[in-house]
Amino acid sequence: MSTIAPEFRLSRLIASLIDLIFWIIVIFTLIGLPIVFILLFYIQLPVIDDKLLTPYLALTWLADPSRTLPIIKSLMHTDFFRITAFPGFGFAALLAAGTIYIERKLLAKIQLRVGPLYCGKIEGILQLMGDGLKLISKEIIIPAKADKPIFWVAPLLFVGTAAAFISLIPVAPGWVVADLEVGLLAVFAVIGFFPIITILSSWSANSKFPFIGGIRALHQMVSFEIPLILSLLGIVILTGTLNLTEIVESQQHYWWIIFMPIGAIVFFTTILAELERIPFDLPEAESEIVAGWLTEFSGMMYGLVQLGSYLKLYAFAALFTILFLGGWNGPMVWPPFPQEIITEGIKMGPITMHVPGLPLLDQEMLNGTLWFTIKTIGVILVILLPRGVFPRIRIDLLLHTGWYKLIGLAFVNIFIALALVYAGVLGPGGLIQ
Amino acid sequence: MSSEKIINEKSSETVETKLEVAKKETIPVVEPKFEKSLAEKVVTKFGTKATIGFIKPNRIRINAKKENILDVATFIRDELNFDHAESVTGVDYPQSKEIEVVYHLGSYTEPQLAKQVLTLATRVPREDIPNPGNDSTRMPSLRDIFYSVEFHERECFEMLGVYFEGHPDNRRLLLPEDWADIPPFRKDFSIKGR
Amino acid sequence: MTTSLPPGIQLEKADDRIMTLNVGPQHPGSGHMRLIIKVDGDYIVSCDPDPGYVHRGEEKMAEYRNYIQNIPHLERPIIHDSCNILYPYCLAVEDLLGLEVPERAKYIRVIASELNRCVYTLYWLAIYGIFLGHSTMFMWPMGDREFCIDLLEAMSGARVTHAYFVPGGVRNDVPANFEERCLRQIDYFEKRLKQYEDIFYQNPVLKQRTEGTGVLSRMDAIRLGTTGSVLRSAGVDFDVRKKEPYDVYDNLDFQTQVLKEGDSYARSRVPYLDMLESCRIIKDALKKMPKSGSVRTKLKPNPKGGNEEAYRRVESGRGSLGMYIVSDGKPEPYRVKISVGSFRNLICMPYLLKGEKLGNMPAVYWSLNYWPVEADR
Repeated sequence: MSTIAPEFRLSRLIASLIDLIFWIIVIFTLIGLPIVFILLFYIQLPVIDDKLLTPYLALTWLADPSRTLPIIKSLMHTDFFRITAFPGFGFAALLAAGTIYIERKLLAKIQLRVGPLYCGKIEGILQLMGDGLKLISKEIIIPAKADKPIFWVAPLLFVGTAAAFISLIPVAPGWVVADLEVGLLAVFAVIGFFPIITILSSWSANSKFPFIGGIRALHQMVSFEIPLILSLLGIVILTGTLNLTEIVESQQHYWWIIFMPIGAIVFFTTILAELERIPFDLPEAESEIVAGWLTEFSGMMYGLVQLGSYLKLYAFAALFTILFLGGWNGPMVWPPFPQEIITEGIKMGPITMHVPGLPLLDQEMLNGTLWFTIKTIGVILVILLPRGVFPRIRIDLLLHTGWYKLIGLAFVNIFIALALVYAGVLGPGGLIQ
Repeated sequence: MSSEKIINEKSSETVETKLEVAKKETIPVVEPKFEKSLAEKVVTKFGTKATIGFIKPNRIRINAKKENILDVATFIRDELNFDHAESVTGVDYPQSKEIEVVYHLGSYTEPQLAKQVLTLATRVPREDIPNPGNDSTRMPSLRDIFYSVEFHERECFEMLGVYFEGHPDNRRLLLPEDWADIPPFRKDFSIKGR
Repeated sequence: MTTSLPPGIQLEKADDRIMTLNVGPQHPGSGHMRLIIKVDGDYIVSCDPDPGYVHRGEEKMAEYRNYIQNIPHLERPIIHDSCNILYPYCLAVEDLLGLEVPERAKYIRVIASELNRCVYTLYWLAIYGIFLGHSTMFMWPMGDREFCIDLLEAMSGARVTHAYFVPGGVRNDVPANFEERCLRQIDYFEKRLKQYEDIFYQNPVLKQRTEGTGVLSRMDAIRLGTTGSVLRSAGVDFDVRKKEPYDVYDNLDFQTQVLKEGDSYARSRVPYLDMLESCRIIKDALKKMPKSGSVRTKLKPNPKGGNEEAYRRVESGRGSLGMYIVSDGKPEPYRVKISVGSFRNLICMPYLLKGEKLGNMPAVYWSLNYWPVEADR
C-alpha cells in the first residue's frame, strides 16, 4: 500500500461510485440472469393473461411505469415505509452512517492526518461497511458473573429508544412517523429513558470500571436533562403548542433562534452532554475508566451501542433544527414538476407515454426535506467540531455547570419568553405573527 | 597513575588529540579547596568514625561505618546543607564478604553546593546464603533524615538483600511478587547463558 | 481461606465504602506500570505505585558487557531520549579512561541531546493530551516529532535507536549540508510549537482541569528529592546544564524555565518552555560549532578503567540522569547504577494523589513526567 495519501478529487469519488454501480449491474446481468434461466430448466413457466411469463416479460412488467408507479406511491404512504425508510430508521441510519464517515474525515483534517483511506476505492468511503463487518464477525464475550438477561437486552433497548426518539421527528410537512399532540413531552419522556439504560447496562456488567462509568453517566445525563427541558419551555410558551409539526409551521416567517438565542445555546450544550460527546464524554473517559459503561461490550453489541449513539446524534440535531432553525421551512428551490407530463404524457419520438401516478413525491415535500437535511447536517457539523478542540471535562465541573449555570441561563430564557408574550410582541395575537 | 599512562600512549598515536591532551596537561592540577574544606569539616567532627574516600573536583567521598551512619548523615544534612539523595546504590563485594551501600547526596537550597555530589558509603556484612530481612545484612535506614531515599532503599533491599531498619515499608518494588531466587544484583546470581 | 499466600501478595479486604481499582498495565490511562488506587466515591484514599512491569535488570546486564558493548544496551531504558541516557555514561567512561573529547564532537553532542529532548517531550505531551481526552493534542505533537526525528536520522542513521554517543565523542560526523537543513527545520518546528499555546495551554477546559490540582510546594519538592520539570515547576531553579555544565553548555546562551505554582498546569508547561529553549540552544550551537574537526577520540582496543569510580549527571527530559560506574580494572564495569529522574519522582505519586479526585488522576500522574520503562530499567 502506498504510504503517501493522494489528494482528494471529487471527480475521482464520483467515478468510483459510478464504477461501483456499473459492477453491480454487470454482475446482476451476467450472473443473476443466467442463474434464473438455469432454474427455469426445472420450474414450469406460468401463463398469465394468455402470455407465457418468461423472465424478460416479468422484468418488462416490473419496469412498466404505468403499472408499478401507483403501487410504489401507495407503498410510500403506508406506516411501514415511514417507520423503516423515509422519516424513520432508514433515513436516520443513512445520515448516521454519513455522519460517522464525515466525523472521522473532519477530525483527521483538523489533526493534520488523513483519516480512513484504504477501505473503498477512494478516500475510504466504505470504511463504515468494513467496520460493521468486522464487528459482526467478532466474538461476543459476556463476563461470567454478569446479569445476563439485562446485559443482552441493554444495547437493543438503547437502539430501540433511539429509534423511538427518531419516530417523533417531522422531516417534511405531513411526513412524521408518530404525530402526537404532545410531541415535545414525548421527546422528554424518551430522553429520560437513556440514563436508565446506561445504568442498567453498567450495573449488569458486574465490573468496577463500568460501574464508575455508569454512575458518572447517570449523574451527567440527569443533571443535564433539567436545563434541556427548561430551555425548551420558552418555545412552548411562545408557540402555545407541544406538537412538533405545529412548532415548525409557526416558524414560517422567522426562526425561533432569533428570539431565543440563550435557549438555543443552553439546548446545544445540554445535547452535547446527553450525547456524551467531547467535552462531555466522561462516561467513556478512556484514560481513567477504560471505556466506562461500554467496557464489557464486544462485537455486535458494541456496534449496536455505537449505532444507537449516532442515531441519537441525528435525532438531537434534527430536534434542534425543528425547534430553533425552522425545520423544513426555506425558500422554494426545488423545481416544480413539469405539468405537461401529467396532462399530455412523455413524448419519446413517435410514442407518447401516459404515466399515471406521477408525481411520486410533491415539490413541497422534496423542498422541505432538502432544507431539513441541509440544516440538520449543519448542526451535526457544529456538534462534531468540539471533538478536535477540547479536552474532557471533569465530573465536578460538569455538575457545577449543569446545576448552577445552565439552569440559571434557562430561567433567564423563560423570562425573556414570558416578557415577549406579555408585551404582546409574539405569541397568539401579537405584533409579529 | 595508570590514567596518565593511557593519556601519554594515546598522544603518541593520534595527532589531532595531541593539542587537546597538551591543553589538559598544562592546566595546573588544583587541589579543590572547597571540596577539601567540606571533607575536613566532616572528618574533624567525627574523627576516626568517618574517613575520606577521595576528593575530586565536585565529588567527595566519605566512608563511614554502619553504626555511625545516622550521625554522619544528620551532620551532613544539618551543617553542610545537603538536602536530598540522588540515588542509593548497592555494590556487592563477595571477596571481602561485604556489600557497600552508597548514597549520593546533593543540595538544592545551597547555591555553592549546586555542583557538589557527596558520596556517603558504608559497608554491611554479607552472608553466603541470604535470607533478606532476617540475616545480618542490615543497616539503619536514612529515611528519617533524607525522605527522598524511601523508594531507593526499597529497591536496594530487593535487589541486594540489605534490610533497612526503620524503613516503614521494606517491600518489593520492581521485582514480581513471587520472586523466589536470591537477590538478583548479587554476584552469585548469574544470568542464564553467561 | 486458609491457604497461605506467597510473600508479597495481599488479599483485598472487601469494604462497603472503599473500592480498590487496579489501574494496571493493561489500562489506557496508565502507561506500563500499575497503580493500586483505593477510591472512596470520587476521592482517592491511597495510591500505591507498583512499577516493575518492564523491569529487565539493565544494571545487572551491563556488568557482562564491556564499555563499548554497553552503548546500545544502556540506551534502551529510555529509547526516545537515547542520547540523553548515553550522555552521562559517556562522560563517566571518559572520566574513568581519561579521554578528551574534540570540540566539534561536543557541539554535535549538545545538538543531538537537545533534539532528543524535544522528541521525548513531544511524546510525553501527546500522551498528556490523550489522557485528558484531547485527541488533537495527541496527533499534533506526534506529527511534529518527525522534524526532530528526521534530523536525528540524518545524524545517526536510525530513527529511534541512535547509539550515537560513544566514549570519546560521537560515532560519526553529521552529513554535508546538515547545518542549513537543521536551521530550516528547527525554525519551522518552533513555529509549530507556538501553536500549541492556543489550542492547549490557553484552553479553558484544560486550565480548569489542571490548575490547582496536585500542588507540590517548594519545600516538599526539595525534601522529596524530585528533579527535572517537577522541581522547576515548584519554584526551585535547578538545571544541571546551568549548575554543573558539561561539554559546551557553559558557552551557550539559554535560560532555565522556572514556574512557581507547582500544580499540574505548571508541570505540564515547564517541559514545553524547555522545548522552546532547546530550539534556541540548537540554533546557538549551530552558529558556534567549529566547521571541521574530528568527532571521535581513538580508543585503545578493549579499554579498561582503573580501580576507581565515576558519577556524572546530565539534564534529560525527565530530570537529572546520573550514571555511577564502578570499575575494577576489567574491560567490563563492576557496577553500573543509573539514577533516573522518573524513579526519583515516583515518590511524588502516593504523596500527591492522596485526596485527589479520581478525575484528576491522569492529569496529576502523567504531569509528573514519569516514564515507566526508565524507572524500571
